[in-house]
Amino acid sequence: MTHVFRRLLYWKESARREALLREEMELHLAERAADLQADGMTAERARHEARRRFGNVTLIHEESREIWMTRFLSELGQDIRYGWRTMTASKTFSFLAILSLALGIGANTAIYSLMESILMRSLPVTDPESLVLLNWTSQPPQNASKQWVHVVHGIQGMFWPGDRGALVSGIFPYRGFETLSDNNPVFSTVFGYFDGHKHNLAIRGQATTAGTEYVTGGYFRGLGVAPAAGRLIEAEDDRPDASPVAVISFAASQNRFGGPPNAVGQSILVDNVAFTVIGVTPPEFFGVDPASAPDLYLPVRTSLLVEGPRAAQLFNDENFYWLEMMGRLRPGVSMAQAQSVLAPRFRQWVATTAKSEGELAKLPALILNPGAGGLGKLRREYSKPLFVLLAMVGLILAITCVNIANLLLARAAARRREMAVRLSLGAGRFRIVRQLLTECVMLASFGGALGILFAIWGVRWLTFLFSKGQENFTLHAELNWQVLGVTAALSVICGVIFGLVPALQSTRPDVIPALKDGRGGGSRHRMQHVLVVAQIAMSFLILVAAGLFVQTLNKLHSVQLGYSRENILLFSLNARQAGHRDPEIATFYQDLRQRFESIPGVSSASLSQSSIVTAGYAGKTYRGAMKIGSVPIEGASVMVVGPRYLTTMRIPSLAGREIDERDRQGSTPVAVISERLARTYFENDNPVGRRITLVDDKRDVEIVGVSGNLRHGGLKSGESSSMTVFIAASQYSPDGMTFALRTSGDPLSYVKSVHEIVRQADSSIPVTNVVTQAAEIDRTISREVMFARLCAGFAILALLTACVGLYGTMSYNVARQFSELGIRMALGAQRGAMVWMVLRRVLVLAAIGLAISLPVTLAATRFVKSLLFGTQPNDPSTMAIAGVVLFGAAMLAGYAPARRASRIDPLVALRHD
Amino acid sequence: MGRKPKKNDSLPGSLDMLILRTLSLRDLHGYGIVQFIQQSSGNELLIEEGSLYPALQRLELNGWIDGDWGVTSNNRRARIYKITAAGRKQLALETRQYAKLTLAIAQVMGME
Repeated sequence: MTHVFRRLLYWKESARREALLREEMELHLAERAADLQADGMTAERARHEARRRFGNVTLIHEESREIWMTRFLSELGQDIRYGWRTMTASKTFSFLAILSLALGIGANTAIYSLMESILMRSLPVTDPESLVLLNWTSQPPQNASKQWVHVVHGIQGMFWPGDRGALVSGIFPYRGFETLSDNNPVFSTVFGYFDGHKHNLAIRGQATTAGTEYVTGGYFRGLGVAPAAGRLIEAEDDRPDASPVAVISFAASQNRFGGPPNAVGQSILVDNVAFTVIGVTPPEFFGVDPASAPDLYLPVRTSLLVEGPRAAQLFNDENFYWLEMMGRLRPGVSMAQAQSVLAPRFRQWVATTAKSEGELAKLPALILNPGAGGLGKLRREYSKPLFVLLAMVGLILAITCVNIANLLLARAAARRREMAVRLSLGAGRFRIVRQLLTECVMLASFGGALGILFAIWGVRWLTFLFSKGQENFTLHAELNWQVLGVTAALSVICGVIFGLVPALQSTRPDVIPALKDGRGGGSRHRMQHVLVVAQIAMSFLILVAAGLFVQTLNKLHSVQLGYSRENILLFSLNARQAGHRDPEIATFYQDLRQRFESIPGVSSASLSQSSIVTAGYAGKTYRGAMKIGSVPIEGASVMVVGPRYLTTMRIPSLAGREIDERDRQGSTPVAVISERLARTYFENDNPVGRRITLVDDKRDVEIVGVSGNLRHGGLKSGESSSMTVFIAASQYSPDGMTFALRTSGDPLSYVKSVHEIVRQADSSIPVTNVVTQAAEIDRTISREVMFARLCAGFAILALLTACVGLYGTMSYNVARQFSELGIRMALGAQRGAMVWMVLRRVLVLAAIGLAISLPVTLAATRFVKSLLFGTQPNDPSTMAIAGVVLFGAAMLAGYAPARRASRIDPLVALRHD
Repeated sequence: MGRKPKKNDSLPGSLDMLILRTLSLRDLHGYGIVQFIQQSSGNELLIEEGSLYPALQRLELNGWIDGDWGVTSNNRRARIYKITAAGRKQLALETRQYAKLTLAIAQVMGME
């Protein structure tokens, strides 16, 4: 290797060396001339003679330059040319090697980049490491008889499951926030925020919806964010008597004002409440939740103005949980220290809010979590799927590497004779190894370059898949060059190792055996088989996983919804946010519905407080207790709907009538109940004419009809036939409404008419969430769709790669046994027998691979149980299908070489040395 | 390039050996090497002087000789070459091969 180094050094110093060489030659000529002159020549003749004897100076220059510089380069060029020739000579080999490398590198980089951006990236704020999320955990709120006994009486926010059935959440009452933020010895700041969802944002008379985040006065200071223009919300802006101010995002300032400086000082209307824009957040800032990017930041106190009188309870009710919190640790304080200080303080306070012994028995306990990455919603939702995907692409990369190794091994074996010939003709061993190395590096470079393209494309595609169905999904994923470097290096190293080891072996000084039989090499042969078995084992695992996810998707698609999926257009309007009030708002919606119904091609139109898919948790509806006589109804949900809802949704009406235009403000309040509810509470009696008491509203509704059962909340989570009480929107005092239009043809082609009608009715109301019912339903399973697609893709990739490996190995075997097979043919072996001989080996390899893989697969698939639906991780039919597919593919891959074996002409084979 | 009638081309590659041999006796600069070979062969071996330099480059590249700037007897700056340990080995090898070859030729020619 010093050899190479020396040469490189020469190359580097080429210019200097050339000058020195010239000087050396000048000296030579001068000395020769001087000697000749001393012998009696004239100066002129001596110089001439010296030159004559020296020869062609330029040529010599060229020659010496070539020796130390060009030789290296020209040899490299030679290597590359030769490598290119070998690559193009075996196009299939090169194509497959490059493609599988590129896919392996690309898929790994893309998945890992996405993972990094979701799971590991820190918030773009000052010193994110010292941020801490405040959460609490407690025992499950339900007691043994399923009754809710907990200090949390009401919530606006999220719970998620912790260890052993515990309840974990990040929301607190406002008093809790005050308790923790006042005189805090361990945090320099504690700040709160909550998602205000969408609000109507009107700027100079133009209305759109804007994602809103309510923040406490310490929010921006606590995060350490500097404004792009103006100033950000401070403590004095978040007092009950402060004038309403707003901060808008950088993107909003650009879209709506043409740049941050123009936005400052402007007045805006948020749900018809006037605010003054005081500042703009920096471009990279997206709040504390990586899954969303609010356009509007308002002081928490202004929720009293925007959210209406309901918000008053937020600040006074000690048992209503809604505000999320983060703190910034003081320098030198650890998270554990902070927890030990704050947990007793929180416990002491929360004990005072307990209203009974039962509530006191399971008080929430404060826990701190690292806040550098922001809120964990996205992480909780996607970390497992991403790890599964990462494991899969890891396997793909392994298969790829094994494949490259296998192909290179086979090729090295095939070229052993070539190497031996070259060696015996006097080629340097180093020269040959370098040649082979150049070829490997060339393959790897092509694969790597293509892999970068795949990775860039893959990140985009995956972001699209992940964000599908989520409005305003802002995933800040970008290509992770470090990961790309690592995966690329991995595959290159793999290529080089597996290229180099056989290369070194085949260039052993002892060339005679190779020259003699040329097709030997038992150990490599075994090695190849081991590699093929490994590939088959890994492919089986991926195949089974893909099968399980495809099965899950099939099961989800065959779920009975109880309502129509096709030909329905959904969109949302919120007239209350635009200033409409009771009782006019009900007639306003009623009027709109009639206008929608009159659009040509719309057979019926209706409305409800939300789409059926989101009915469980969205929209303003009745959520209190209900009774039939004195019997409480349990587990039923209320849907607030307009006229002709059942007709529009194609929900069968089983008895009585559906809610229609007769049901107005002031007429008898009515309800329609679902079949299951009717069966449960009325058994075989006719429920029509009976009454349901809405306890919290202190009123009764009369049952006028019975509908078929329908599934709420999408395909995965929804109950199969939940109990539903439909009540009339006109009799309920609605907020926002989701309209449903039954259309002929593509629902989305009616969007324009809808916009037109709404603009005529009230131009300050934006139309939002425009979507077809089918897409709305598919949103609930977007993760499963994505999984099934990705895994199916991966499985095909793995299978193809493994088949290529198998094909390569078998072809090589057949070529190696050429003479033997020829002799068999000459001795009268049947063609079928020959085919079987080769295929039998394929089957044995596949069977060994399968046998190894089966227990591993059974163990591994248990980890994806929570991602499956209607399928068990050890589903025997999926396993069987995967096995059959694998054997089938293996047979196909083995058939071509087997056929070749059976077509060997004995005469040719016997003459072949 | 066959301009030189007396050019030493009977034994290709022997120039390297001659240079190594020369340098094994004393350190010399390019011109000195040419002079030495010519004089010690009784002016029988006349090498094309220019071809010495590529040969020197090659030998240096192989690590058999080392060149360093020094001063000649008449006080001019010149590159003085000396043989390395690897060079001595190579010389020994080439000497052996050369002896074998000449012996073989001598046998063929019936001179032995």
